[in-house]
Amino acid sequence: MRRTIAAVVAAAAYVAAIVSGTARPAAESAFTWNLPRGFPAPRVPAGNAMTPEKVDLGRHLFYDARLSANRQQSCASCHEQARAFTDGRERAVGSTGEVHPRNSMSLVNVGYAGVLTWGNPSLTRLEDQALVPMFGDHPIELGLARPGTALLERLREDARYRAMFAAAFPAEAAPFTIDNVTRALASFERSIISARSPYDRYHTDRVQDAISPAARRGEILFFSQPFSCFRCHHGFMMAGATDFEGRQPRAEGGVEFHNTGLYNLAGALSYPPPNTGVYEITQKAEDVGRFKAPTLRNISVTGPYMHDGSIATLDGVLDHYAAGGRTIADGPHRGIGHDNPNKSRTVRGFTLTPGQRADFIAFLNALTDEELLRDPRFSNPWTAPGR
Amino acid sequence: MKIPERRRRLGRAAGTVGALLLATALHASQQTPSTAPATDTTLSVAGDVARPLTLTPAELKAMPRTTVTIVDQGRDVKYTGVLVGDVLARAGASLGREMSGPALSTYVLASAKDGYQVVFSLAELDPAFTTNDIIIADTVDGQPLFDYQGPLRLVAPHDKRGARSVRMLQRLDVVRLRK
Repeated sequence: MRRTIAAVVAAAAYVAAIVSGTARPAAESAFTWNLPRGFPAPRVPAGNAMTPEKVDLGRHLFYDARLSANRQQSCASCHEQARAFTDGRERAVGSTGEVHPRNSMSLVNVGYAGVLTWGNPSLTRLEDQALVPMFGDHPIELGLARPGTALLERLREDARYRAMFAAAFPAEAAPFTIDNVTRALASFERSIISARSPYDRYHTDRVQDAISPAARRGEILFFSQPFSCFRCHHGFMMAGATDFEGRQPRAEGGVEFHNTGLYNLAGALSYPPPNTGVYEITQKAEDVGRFKAPTLRNISVTGPYMHDGSIATLDGVLDHYAAGGRTIADGPHRGIGHDNPNKSRTVRGFTLTPGQRADFIAFLNALTDEELLRDPRFSNPWTAPGR
Repeated sequence: MKIPERRRRLGRAAGTVGALLLATALHASQQTPSTAPATDTTLSVAGDVARPLTLTPAELKAMPRTTVTIVDQGRDVKYTGVLVGDVLARAGASLGREMSGPALSTYVLASAKDGYQVVFSLAELDPAFTTNDIIIADTVDGQPLFDYQGPLRLVAPHDKRGARSVRMLQRLDVVRLRK
């Protein structure tokens, strides 16, 4: 009853504020994407139109440790801007110290990701995905307790958030909801769009000397048949499962996930649990070891690599693919990945000369967008100058 | 490459005038067949054709030009080049009125510098038989192709997938199955 009265009072105050002109009308302002040349418009789900106010709120939430139960971590703890929104760890570590089974994925251009995680084909909306680190307990990440009332109370105490929630959701009398938290987080994440790497200057702006001759040779190798990297890492994202506004579904449907022969354990599961890929969702034997092909943009700063961070360097990744799958000689994960029964037909192995290796690395390094790594639009607003 | 969208430039003459021009061009080409040595930048046409040939980029540029538009990841991309059918005609492949009988079981193997190969039926490359507008492109959006694409790329604008749009195209082999 007390809550109802409070809501009525808040609504009345809100209406009074609009009438007096001290609050924004219940209309959302337009967001300007400033898309890189050649980039299509991102797909934005119905019910969460982009607005500058939502993006700003989402940015504050993203960097706020109050989003973890013990106030130890924020989203940014595992998604650091300087690392293209990854964390530099093999596997992420949650706010209570629990180690996540997976390597943190980059959030750069994540609005174009057709699927959001390494191995869940059904998790396609950033609004839904945000709930996983917030409330998930297997593993614990931010460690919040459902239904999130404590978090909302915590946020409501801050006058800045009271203003920002009201601005971001002007039509709502009671904007402090978990849905709105995830809408704002998703809006900020969708705003992280950048393509200012040397390769972009070469490829989109046609600046011939923007990348080195070695990188240009590496590009040819990347797109050539013997190596076939482009078959999984394709398009402007250099990734599988890219989505955007107006994109037609692939004729064969579904999203691409690949078993690259990273493991080949004896027994029913050739990949070490719990990291068995799409199999975790479908329980189909043919899905064991199938993971998403992540974007290669900014790959030089997003190591360690693979879904479990088990390869430390890009040289190591090249070794893995050159061998057509990784061989682990000893230990609990021993096995010859090349012979994994689910392995993608694309991963057949190849011979790589030292010169070609250097060219590949030069090409991959040319994909790093240095401006993004320090772009103030995506930085921590709580520590920004003037705060 | 998805959802091809035919927006062929109308610079190419149609009808009687166009046919006459093409006939003149082909006649001229028959009198001066190209014998340029095959290199990384040339296109060779061989196999079951009357006049195997090797075309330089300059020779291709001098042929009638066609622009096709494809939709690539949400945006229009324009490729410009020469109809494959025109190149095959210059090599003396069985096209037009000769597109019957054994010609209908003839195929063209398109090969790239990196070893990639795809097949088209000869009929689907014959402008008199279909309107596929499959071209050998040397420019994209008015610029030379990138190193990994070119210098020549076969572009099949009506394919739903780009797999037959062979990058780094180097060779066309015409293979007649029924002699």
